[in-house]
Amino acid sequence: MDFDIIFGNAARAAFGPEAVILALAAIGLNVHFGFTGLLNFGQVGFLLLGAYGTSVSVATFGWSLWVGILVGLVLSVALAVALGFPTLRLHAVMFAIVTIAAAEIIRILIGSTDAIGLTGGPLSVSFDAGAFYDLNPYPDGPHDRYGVGTFEFTGQQMWVITVGWVLVALVSLVVFLIVRSPWGRVLKSIREDEDAARSLGKNVFSYKMQALIIGGVIGGLGGVIDAIKTSGADPNGFRPQVTFFAYTALLLGGAATYMGPVLGAILFWFLREWIESFLRQLTAEAWLPDAVADFLSGSEGVISVAMVGLTLVLLMLFRPQGITGNRIEMQLDAR
Amino acid sequence: MPDELTPVPGEARAGTESGLVGAQIEPNHSVPPVAGAPKPHPILVVDELTRSFGGLRAVDVDHLEVERGVVTALIGPNGAGKTTLFNLLTGFDRADTGRWSFDGQPVSSPSPDQLARQGMIRTFQLTKSLAKLTVLDNVLLGAPGQAGERLSAAPFRSRWRDQEEANVELADELLDRFNLAHMRDELAGTLSGGQRKLLEVARALMADPVMIMLDEPMAGVNPALAQSLMRHITQLAFEGLTVVFIEHAMDVVTGISDWVVVLAQGRVIAEGPPWKVIHDHQVIDAYLGRRRAGGGS
Repeated sequence: MDFDIIFGNAARAAFGPEAVILALAAIGLNVHFGFTGLLNFGQVGFLLLGAYGTSVSVATFGWSLWVGILVGLVLSVALAVALGFPTLRLHAVMFAIVTIAAAEIIRILIGSTDAIGLTGGPLSVSFDAGAFYDLNPYPDGPHDRYGVGTFEFTGQQMWVITVGWVLVALVSLVVFLIVRSPWGRVLKSIREDEDAARSLGKNVFSYKMQALIIGGVIGGLGGVIDAIKTSGADPNGFRPQVTFFAYTALLLGGAATYMGPVLGAILFWFLREWIESFLRQLTAEAWLPDAVADFLSGSEGVISVAMVGLTLVLLMLFRPQGITGNRIEMQLDAR
Repeated sequence: MPDELTPVPGEARAGTESGLVGAQIEPNHSVPPVAGAPKPHPILVVDELTRSFGGLRAVDVDHLEVERGVVTALIGPNGAGKTTLFNLLTGFDRADTGRWSFDGQPVSSPSPDQLARQGMIRTFQLTKSLAKLTVLDNVLLGAPGQAGERLSAAPFRSRWRDQEEANVELADELLDRFNLAHMRDELAGTLSGGQRKLLEVARALMADPVMIMLDEPMAGVNPALAQSLMRHITQLAFEGLTVVFIEHAMDVVTGISDWVVVLAQGRVIAEGPPWKVIHDHQVIDAYLGRRRAGGGS
């Protein structure tokens, strides 16, 4: 059992591009759910459009990567508007159903064989993200490594995560600036009681739409990072569980807080990878009974996700406000 | 319509029947105390307003006028349609038929937020305090025309700081008047039921209303506080605010209102000065049941 390797794997996951993507998805969700009370269960749809908008623009249409990124973000806005117009006036539960369905419909359409010519369909799409890596300031030789011990990245990875975390910081700052303002106060009032906000002259629909667009674009940014990281997109990467992982990260860190979604995303990936690596090492141990080893071997990933779920359950029981949340605020729900 | 906004000259009201200070204006000296009576300076004019729920006609008002700058009480037994009427007028519910005008403007497509921006501010029978906002933030939310509520200005504090500071000052004054100053930075969800009622009224006043519509503002508020609340409201009417409030306890109404409108089974059955209305046999019937229905009791 080598705990150095386990820790290295976990730390790499916690600060790697996957955590950046999850953090962006969770920050967007925080604007929707945490601050405005919009129960968006289709956040993955925004990531998908960010990723595919970028990938397809470059791969299919031969546009530059920067145009592709813009296309990805514009598509995220379009999805927010398309989702919001018919559903924001409906009850919160209707909105939840429509969002989860819309995200799935988009994923299935994009992954269908009829879409091969455009999106690559089930074959996924790949493109040359060279324009991004050309800017990489980190020397990226075959032996260049950054980090300590087992916690290290290659030069390319370093560039992605540097840009990624800077983006996370900037987005968090923007969210902080707009939410602490009177604008943010209106969002929170809508979360607490729409009718109260209306009775004071606030155009609830307009604010919800603004929140939906902002959170959606932030999710779309996550998709863009995903596309750049993998130099492409695959429909299977945008299944509904991505949304639920984002909710898990958000609740772990604390909804309606500024740092919560970021801390939550880091912790989510750390825990998930730590458990998975631990299980992998465990199955290799000689003293383990064969039956147990057989059971564990090959399902480490699944079990680790289940363990993260269990962590969330325990958290809800003993610290329902998340890591950074305010307990008193939380208890007001139980009135 | 500036001429409509000028206060009505009228006799000062010395030694009125009300124990508390009422509006200085006696607007109704020429208004006959009959249902649907026209008023000299109506702020709200309602015509043929109906709303049915299934077979039940909850509101059926032929004509109703609310005089500007006075305190009007809307009373009636449970189920008379008082809150439904409020909901219709403020755009929270859709009328089946009818039209009304507010502040000289016909209300064609009533939307709650638009009416609120025009100065028609209401409160709710079941208080809608925003539990996870502080008491201060609750009140600040009411402030009209906030630059910082536009997304384009929100990230730049310098664009809204001055206005926010002025609003905080105003909000603190209101909280002080409603005995909530000590709870200023607490979350509104921690307030008692009565305090939430007061908070809602403070928030409504923060919105700088032309007409304030209070749905049972005194329910659940302790009597001393209710007294000070109503003193405050009559003071505001004195300064030109139009106040309409729902109440079903008749004794409360006589103390503070200038005019009483009685609703029963959705219809305006009587209106007039409080001391006249409470002796109206129709009103007594509505509250206690009709004699013929009760078999002569």
